[in-house]
Amino acid sequence: MTTELVTAEQFRQLCDYLYRETGIMFSEQKRYFVERRIAERMAATQTQNFAAYFAHLHDPAQAELAPFINAFTVNETYFYREDYQLRCLTRDLLKSCTAGKPPGGAIRIWSLPCATGEEPYSLAMWLLENWPQVDDYEIEIIGSDIDTTVLQAASAAIYGKRALMRLSDDLIAKYFEPLEGERWRIIEDLRGSVQFAPVNAMEPAEIRKFGRFDVIFCRNMLIYFDDSSRRVAAENLFEALLPGGYLCLGHAESMSRISGLFEICRFDDAIVYRRPPARRPRFEKKP
Amino acid sequence: MSRTQRILIVDDASLVRLYYRNILAPRFEIEEALNGLEALEKLHSQPVDLLIVDINMPKMDGLSFLKTLRALPADIASIPALVISTEAAPADLAAARQAGANFHLRKPVQPETLLRYVTMLCAATPAGSTP
Amino acid sequence: MPLVKKTLADPKPPAPTGLPALTAALQSAKPEERWEAARQLAAFPESLPALAALLESEPDARVREAALTSLAKSNSLAGFDIILRYLCADDAALRTAALDALKLMPEPVAARLDALLADPDTDIRVLACDLARVAPPAISQKSLAAILQTEPEVNVCAAAVDLLAEIGTREILPSLAACAQRVFDPFLQFSIEMATAQIKARSAPPPA
Repeated sequence: MTTELVTAEQFRQLCDYLYRETGIMFSEQKRYFVERRIAERMAATQTQNFAAYFAHLHDPAQAELAPFINAFTVNETYFYREDYQLRCLTRDLLKSCTAGKPPGGAIRIWSLPCATGEEPYSLAMWLLENWPQVDDYEIEIIGSDIDTTVLQAASAAIYGKRALMRLSDDLIAKYFEPLEGERWRIIEDLRGSVQFAPVNAMEPAEIRKFGRFDVIFCRNMLIYFDDSSRRVAAENLFEALLPGGYLCLGHAESMSRISGLFEICRFDDAIVYRRPPARRPRFEKKP
Repeated sequence: MSRTQRILIVDDASLVRLYYRNILAPRFEIEEALNGLEALEKLHSQPVDLLIVDINMPKMDGLSFLKTLRALPADIASIPALVISTEAAPADLAAARQAGANFHLRKPVQPETLLRYVTMLCAATPAGSTP
Repeated sequence: MPLVKKTLADPKPPAPTGLPALTAALQSAKPEERWEAARQLAAFPESLPALAALLESEPDARVREAALTSLAKSNSLAGFDIILRYLCADDAALRTAALDALKLMPEPVAARLDALLADPDTDIRVLACDLARVAPPAISQKSLAAILQTEPEVNVCAAAVDLLAEIGTREILPSLAACAQRVFDPFLQFSIEMATAQIKARSAPPPA
């Protein structure tokens, strides 16, 4: 029998604070989960009671918000995670990305942070399986992370059972080869088609090397940055998009706490952000 | 029987949102947003019959929000908006009207005043007429 | 496979990087170039005057935003004072952009807070209460206590109370009570009641 760590009102105040800072809304159902995280952070910050921890959270000098949020994020990754965004990609986003592109034109998609590669490989598989026009364009998928060790793992493309839990047997048979010890490896064709390259999302010069993209998946990265860094990262992501290009954040994240640079696009499956398309001049200016 | 009307309160001060909620919740469904960007994100999820909008908010102010709103498809663009802000100079009122506010009240608002204006603006768009 | 792997190359010519080149680029007719220059100038503390000049006349919101970010990153009083000018701009979007940038500068905020809370302009005092959010809580509480004692404008008091509801400690409770006795407005009375309850609730012991 676990005792409650905080009162109902204290829980509400914490949730309010989190909502203000990140846009994330925690419900009463998550009570136990949130309390465990509070306990962790109180121990880590050596604050003795709720009032002291809450004050700690509010003190900019303590920079507690990022570790607090970090504590809340389940860092597990697997194939076809948050697949509602994949559906949105093929159902809605690619329509406007391909409008005006000639057959054989390039579609560029960036996954960052890509960690051990589940997301970029998922993008590749999803497109091959679900996009009727997949053969009509040259699709470039790039996975990036600041951590080069995970990128090495991504290139090696070997995964355990848990990472494959959302995939049908057919998909596994098609895109993976079984290895010893209940592991699977992405088939060579697919491994060879996705590029991995490191990047520090805070550095405009590094981001610029990658050129511009039609779609960027940037899930659960911005949420860990402080206000100042988030702004810079958002500007960098904006710069890395083609006019009219789309940015997908994690499902609990919102640009409303970060930057007004992007347009908000609401589709059936997801809220997505967009770099405004280039305005076509009604009248061409004579040189 | 028509559905209960829904009001989206857009203000970054949590006590302001709570104050309005307490006054209006007995008769209306209430949803909240902290700034203009969040309001735009919330607008498509369920029909909104009235917007209550502050002007000074982080990331996207109330007037920019209204201008963006009025450029959206008609079903969303036509939602009436009551601006409630600390501003009251003639230039501010003119700016609010130009941005697309239906009405402007000055903070702090008396409960009876809020209820009267909200009722009036909601009566103009009976529930069920906004999809 | 329609998936292709290409060599990553920098397709754009390298952007100007020295202070003189960047300052010159601020005058470019192309918003893209001004934007890039404004962003890169964050690395040059001496660029504050050039960024200030840009803000005076820049029509593009994105470029303004970049200039404000660079000024904010200086975390200096000089940068703070430049941005501060726009807190009373007629354009609400510009005021918002300025306030958002000021909130990135906790130390200058703490240094300037009392002066802003004593500004003759009511709107500035209201915004200053919001700005206090990013200063160390102990400093904010002390400064806002003064507001509760003497501030005549309801909206300023209310803004102070809104922040104190979140960061206030039991020490501020008497000042809140005194303010409720001094200013009679339903919204303010409500706010003080809520803030008092929230402050008390924070120091309640955990359930047995």
